[in-house]
Amino acid sequence: MAFDIAFWLLAIVSVVAALAVVTLRNIFRAALSLVLCFITVAGLYVTLSADFLAAVQILVYVGAISILLILGIMLTRDVQLGSPTNKLRFPAFLAAIVFFGTVAWAVLNTTWGISPQGPLEPTTATLAGKLFGENGYILTVEIAAVLLLAAILGAIVLVREK
Amino acid sequence: MDLGLLAPEISLAATAVAVILLDLFVERKGALAIVSVIGLMVSAAFTIAMFGDPAQVSFNGTLAVDSFALFFKLLFLGIAALVILASVDYVSKFERFQGEYHALILLSALGMLLMATATELITIYVSLELASISLYILAGFLKDPKSTESSIKYLLLGATASAVLLYGMALVFGSTGTTQLGEITQQVQALGAQGVADNPALVLGIILLIAGFGFKIAAVPFQMWVPDVYEGAPTPIVAYLSVGSKAAGFAVILRVFSSAFGLPDWLSLDWGMVFAVLAAIGMTVGNVSALPQTNIKRMFGYSSIAQAGYLMVGLAAMGVASAGETIGQSTILFFLLSYSLANLGAFIAIIAITNKIDSDLIEDFSGLFKRSPLLTLGLTLCLISLIGMPPAAGFMAKFYIFGGAAQNGLLWLVIIAVLNSVVSAFYYLRVVKVMWLGEPASVEKVPSSGALRVALTITCLGVLFVGILPGFAMKAAELAAKMFGI
Amino acid sequence: MSVGLEHYLVLSAVLFAIGLYGALAKRNTIAILLCIEIMLNAVNIAMVAFSRYVAPQLLTGHVFVIFIMAVAAAEAAVGVAIIMAIYRSKGTVDPTEIDSMKR
Repeated sequence: MAFDIAFWLLAIVSVVAALAVVTLRNIFRAALSLVLCFITVAGLYVTLSADFLAAVQILVYVGAISILLILGIMLTRDVQLGSPTNKLRFPAFLAAIVFFGTVAWAVLNTTWGISPQGPLEPTTATLAGKLFGENGYILTVEIAAVLLLAAILGAIVLVREK
Repeated sequence: MDLGLLAPEISLAATAVAVILLDLFVERKGALAIVSVIGLMVSAAFTIAMFGDPAQVSFNGTLAVDSFALFFKLLFLGIAALVILASVDYVSKFERFQGEYHALILLSALGMLLMATATELITIYVSLELASISLYILAGFLKDPKSTESSIKYLLLGATASAVLLYGMALVFGSTGTTQLGEITQQVQALGAQGVADNPALVLGIILLIAGFGFKIAAVPFQMWVPDVYEGAPTPIVAYLSVGSKAAGFAVILRVFSSAFGLPDWLSLDWGMVFAVLAAIGMTVGNVSALPQTNIKRMFGYSSIAQAGYLMVGLAAMGVASAGETIGQSTILFFLLSYSLANLGAFIAIIAITNKIDSDLIEDFSGLFKRSPLLTLGLTLCLISLIGMPPAAGFMAKFYIFGGAAQNGLLWLVIIAVLNSVVSAFYYLRVVKVMWLGEPASVEKVPSSGALRVALTITCLGVLFVGILPGFAMKAAELAAKMFGI
Repeated sequence: MSVGLEHYLVLSAVLFAIGLYGALAKRNTIAILLCIEIMLNAVNIAMVAFSRYVAPQLLTGHVFVIFIMAVAAAEAAVGVAIIMAIYRSKGTVDPTEIDSMKR
């Protein structure tokens, strides 16, 4: 019961925050709404028993990515422009509605193979095994490391003055 | 865990790091290109050494080393080497960051290699992003307004496409409970017609996957980014993009759709038709839009949309073919090889030419024959291949791919494709006409570095070889088409 | 009705649709980046929900989400870098003004 209330509360706040991001004219406030959205998503992970992910969400999304985006906003502040919408407003709206409709219909009409097992708690140890242990995704971890190297190189190349 | 299977990738990553470090110590930046190419050849040697070994799956099923993967690995290594050779003059104009330029090309190639060998959704996604992010950065390397504009457009549209792709992967994961392509295959095969009706999420997931991958290969209707990105990005990177990311995209599509979804006939038939229609639209949109173009890079952008259309004819043939036949796959692989050689060759020549005349407009190519006969000849040969005329490779490529489609009952599509090839001749030949018959603006020769000439020679020889003796390449393609698990 | 898989999936679809609208309709390139992050979060919610309800002991969805977060961070970094480079050369981040290339 408490679980259900938590879900509904978090869900509504996250949707309102997301709507705020796309409708607010002040880009800085939009970024702050995005941070709120991230926090509610972390809460949703907790309701899904994904404890480690909730912590990582706060650390990475709220703690790093949001800061980076706000830094970007501060350094490229175009006060008059703000964050308006362009002429593709209506087709974009249609596309979004169509997407939502299709996915919602597909998702509600599918018989999911829901497992009778309960969630794994806590998840950290098992996740560590999945990522780094035998029969794990260690290769993918290494590829991700190279990807981060490429991103760092790119950021330096693009931002440094000639 | 068998690290030996990853030898090409590990040596490529090591080369990239070596190049970055070398940039700190070396004054003559030409050494960076040499080190990169040597590194690529070492990777290629490792790849060739693995030919003939039985197909293996390793790393918890995240990757498979089979002849399909090896074919693509060699292709990507070759493309990267040719692009590096062709950029030697271009890069010498950069004041700094030459090391990063080469490293990013190598890292992007690494991503493509991994895309071809990954058999599991998470690994496919991460490798795809490795290749893409490196390309987004490379597109903006010049840092002038046009280059950065093309880079941000590429990134924003690419990230959106990745998000759609991921949603598809989520739905597929949710419907099957696994991300391994092999296990997904088993589950999809076990579904009957009733199973599909119970699982619209799975079908929607597949559609979203197609949409996401369709972006990478510049397939209609996800091709809007192509002309602008091609026009603004540095020319060697456009060459790399047009060939590498398209081939990588097809490698993943073939693996995902053959292993996981290509099989039950009722499912295949629908996909075949969908691809056929998309192919027809793509070819027509690409060719018709290319006709009025005056900027050669933009023209090639639309041309590559059309070429993606031709490749999708092969996908359509695969879709309507009965299970077990690999004719569709092998024609696609052959076409990718021929297209890579021809498109790269054309761009290599264009790099040298636009470097000298300092303009991307076709009209400024006039009279090039008198100024630089070799470059003109090379470009002409590659353009002929792209049209699909003998004796160039493109003729055999189109012959095989359209033949495969005709054999499978898609005659209407083949007719549209042939008509499109005729239309394409107009804009390709226009460039040829301007070069051979126009009056040159000046009589200065167009300089090109030795490395670029070597690269151009290799591609042109390749085009001729594959065109005159297609059997060898076709054999390789057929071997590669017998993927692990099929 | 007790909260189940469908609730999370519909929420995920709503968030993704909102993000998609923003990515296609906004005129400020940083705003588009914000909307892409919303879309990726929506995907993450779906992944974790599937992981919890369909294959709880395997945590495959969780692993996927960790990688998506890493990639999202890298993309955001490169995106902000490019936008700063554009701002430096043009003084604006409005994509309709950063649209110099003709059809």
